[in-house]
Amino acid sequence: MTDEEHNPNEDPRPHESTAKFGLNEPTGQFQDLKDRLDRESELAGDENNFHDDNHPTDESDSLKYRNMGWKGIDDDDDDGGDDEDDNFMGGDKEPIPEDELDMTPMVDVTFLLLIFFMVTASFTIQKSLEQAHSKSDEPSTTPTEETEEPEDYVQILIDQTNTYYVTSRSLDEEECPSDSEMRSRVRDAFENEGAKRLIIVAHVESLHRKVVTAWDTGAINDASEIEIQTTEEDY
Amino acid sequence: MFAESADAMELPKRTRNADDGELDVTPMIDVTFLLLAFFVVVSKMDPQANVPLPKASYGLAISEKETVTIILTVDESGKEPNIFLGTGMQEEELVPPGDEEDRQQLIADYVEKELTNNPSKNAVLIKAAGNCKTGMVEFVKKGVSKSTLATADDRKIYIGIEEEQ
Repeated sequence: MTDEEHNPNEDPRPHESTAKFGLNEPTGQFQDLKDRLDRESELAGDENNFHDDNHPTDESDSLKYRNMGWKGIDDDDDDGGDDEDDNFMGGDKEPIPEDELDMTPMVDVTFLLLIFFMVTASFTIQKSLEQAHSKSDEPSTTPTEETEEPEDYVQILIDQTNTYYVTSRSLDEEECPSDSEMRSRVRDAFENEGAKRLIIVAHVESLHRKVVTAWDTGAINDASEIEIQTTEEDY
Repeated sequence: MFAESADAMELPKRTRNADDGELDVTPMIDVTFLLLAFFVVVSKMDPQANVPLPKASYGLAISEKETVTIILTVDESGKEPNIFLGTGMQEEELVPPGDEEDRQQLIADYVEKELTNNPSKNAVLIKAAGNCKTGMVEFVKKGVSKSTLATADDRKIYIGIEEEQ
């Protein structure tokens, strides 16, 4: 153990761990620290034997770079970046060895692209209502027959002037001129009268928006089934 | 041997010296690339029609890429409905005025053709403006239902809405 410990050319890590996990456990940490200090002082005096890729400061390394055609190093400043003169040029970056790509411009461009796509992104997700296919070509002309036995459903009738009429078990064709009146009336029917289904009877001249509002009211109240019928009959 | 196992235990500890004064930007670049790829994939570049869809609080989220889209709008006067077979509201996508049966057949043919040519599409989306007449929406739905492919395999019709709180 002691033979290897003071050899500066060896990788120091195994010895650290040996010291940590060695038999002399109680003094291991201090021994470790002392060993490292010893090694560092030795290395400082023996720099030419120390080949570390992260420090291209010694003669052989800079020569190597120059032979590879790298022009990043100032010829008058072969001894690397530890000089005080280096601070003279405030914006100068540390020169990058040739085998490492400078990522900065690529990252800049990527960020620009990212921001561009984030700003212009319009998502292809569309919110929608699922509806059944139309079964017959003939629009129903007898929607009011359904109201004779209002068992478990609520009927919303939308006439040609876009007025709602809500029919439920307790109330027949109650006129609801506004959206909110219709909503509260339908909620009442669903919560207190045990309604489960919703039937929308819309006049062909009524607005699509009104039908969607009526449909949405059913969805809010958890209607098990929503049906749309159209009629040409005026009210 | 003992030293080797101890060395193995130390390996995952740290791969880069933190006190070299530089922030490691690699994870940040990774995340940025992921975000970039996400937005590139999810955004669409073709000009999109701006249809004033009716508002509703509950809507199913569907992907427009998987649907055959029909757009229904009303012109300035509020009288004449325009049916566009496509997503762009272009002149050439407009269904010409004429006999009702013929127009419905045009819609059915379009849906049939799109469903045949694009296997990824499996539903029909009708984006109808809120100020359309209910009769017009029903008219288009009937046109779609004339296509046998549109009703086969449990394919659905979706009515486009705009979500509100």
